[in-house]
Amino acid sequence: MVDFIQTTIDGLSIGSAYSLIALGFTLVFGVMRRINLSYGPSIMLGAFAGTWIFVTLDAQPWLVAAVTVAGTVAVGVYVERVCFWAIRRDAAIASMVSSFVIWMQLEEVATILLPGRTYPFPELFRTGGVEIGPYFFRMEYVTTLTVAILVLVMLRLLLFKTRFGLALRAVSENPAAAAYMGIRPGRVIFRAFVLASLIGGIAGYLLLAADQQVTPYFGLWATFKGLIAMMLGGMGSIPGAVVGGLILGVIESQTQWYLGNAYKDLSSYLVLFMVLVLRPGGLLGQGIAEREAQAFRRI
Amino acid sequence: MSEYAISVASNMGMIAFVALSAYVILVVGEISFGQQAYFGIGAYMSGAATAMWGWPFGLALAVGSLSAAAAAFAIGALTIRLRGLYFAISTLCFAEMLRLWLNSVHVRVEVDGEMVGPDGAEGFGDIRWIFENDVTPLEFMFIIYGLLGAVLAFLLLVERSRLGAALRMVGQDPLLARSQGIDASACKLLAVMFAGLIAGLGGGLYAHFATYIEPNVFNVMLGVHGLAYGLIGGLGTALGPIIGVVLDIGFLEGIRAIQGYRMIVFGGLVAILLIVMPRGILDETRVYRIKRWMRRT
Repeated sequence: MVDFIQTTIDGLSIGSAYSLIALGFTLVFGVMRRINLSYGPSIMLGAFAGTWIFVTLDAQPWLVAAVTVAGTVAVGVYVERVCFWAIRRDAAIASMVSSFVIWMQLEEVATILLPGRTYPFPELFRTGGVEIGPYFFRMEYVTTLTVAILVLVMLRLLLFKTRFGLALRAVSENPAAAAYMGIRPGRVIFRAFVLASLIGGIAGYLLLAADQQVTPYFGLWATFKGLIAMMLGGMGSIPGAVVGGLILGVIESQTQWYLGNAYKDLSSYLVLFMVLVLRPGGLLGQGIAEREAQAFRRI
Repeated sequence: MSEYAISVASNMGMIAFVALSAYVILVVGEISFGQQAYFGIGAYMSGAATAMWGWPFGLALAVGSLSAAAAAFAIGALTIRLRGLYFAISTLCFAEMLRLWLNSVHVRVEVDGEMVGPDGAEGFGDIRWIFENDVTPLEFMFIIYGLLGAVLAFLLLVERSRLGAALRMVGQDPLLARSQGIDASACKLLAVMFAGLIAGLGGGLYAHFATYIEPNVFNVMLGVHGLAYGLIGGLGTALGPIIGVVLDIGFLEGIRAIQGYRMIVFGGLVAILLIVMPRGILDETRVYRIKRWMRRT
């Protein structure tokens, strides 16, 4: 029982970082109904910029964090301009493929910046962790969880208490109607992109600081973890992204503990596949799928 | 032809099967991140057929592509009510599950005193049909292009038929297609199954060309590349994906001189191409114009 709870705690901590990545996906998907495959790779390139100043200039961890987040935002803006702003709004597949070729570009930039396979990434604190009763909390996990909760609270305030949040929700509900109300969808999309990159940069930094190393594969990994977590919860739903990320983290850590490393990824794909087949629409995003199914039944 | 040119051309031919299979699904309006799974099923099944059971090559290819089609049918039947990104992610899930599962499949049998068969992450080597039958790389390239030509001709024929029109209509607007009396789900299922068949055929060829396959060959990058080729070439005709493959691999081989920067150059060019032509080079409008021009002359 102690084992089970301990693994759940570890899973929730990793899962909270997954939740943040999924949130970035959901924000962008919500406002423009297009997916950005370059989301993970732009976090990866931001992290490479961070580790580059760490390796060459021996920078402090807080500076590495700042450069990682700033780099992610800069790359995110580039991706938005090339793959989304410049491409017609109804060409969703073209945007997706474009974000994929830009991904290849970003990976090459990363290997030019740092040609090796693996680079060290500084940890935030050099302390071990906290012990409460029989349970052990790794310091990195405590930080991840705290930062994730902080980001969530701030995001919630931003979305529901500010004019920008109202505009963002209006555009994701119905872009045409929002435009009639005097909202510029293009500008909202751009800001949502910057916001998503900001969250992604923070999540990437937390995950990498817990791992203490970064490889070019992080891009692929982050994109697919974020997508899985978002789909588990339901697309475009903010509570869905959070729940999906946490569930993914717990499933991974439990299967890794009880069945071994080989089944870790397999089980998360299996669970997502079953959710998609049995509850198409994700765990918390049933609305859209339901409406479409009803429209189909009427004819 | 030099040996290098033959190997590049053969690779182009085999990846064209993946691109065509991604294209068939794009035509019915869905995106698949998982065509590499059917490529993999075709490769493993037909590789096993010649190397482990000693079947003739043609039969092995048929078994590979038919089992890929059967798998595509089963997965398609489960996921047919999903649309858009939900469908795309379900195909990705299946492909990744298959790849991770293949890492733990060990079926070794003794053939002529040697152990052959899939050995988990170690891969499946010694698919020696090409050596045992003295097939030169050039001859094998002709086999690849002969089959590719047959598939392409079949697709072009289908596109001229009523079925082709129905498939395109489902891709444009499934609701409208249904109101015209077209069974949208059946059309999608048919397309998914046929896409599996094409990918499986390419996989069978790949297994015998490479003589060694491993689960990681069939990772998501293969499928996404196929998808990208399908779109770059254009969604208007089955020739589009072929153009996409030739452009990509041909161009990348052509700019070997600037090694280290070529993905940056190429990625930028494709991104610009997609801004100007969001449905690829040979999109529906352009194909229509070309056809009209050809009728006039």
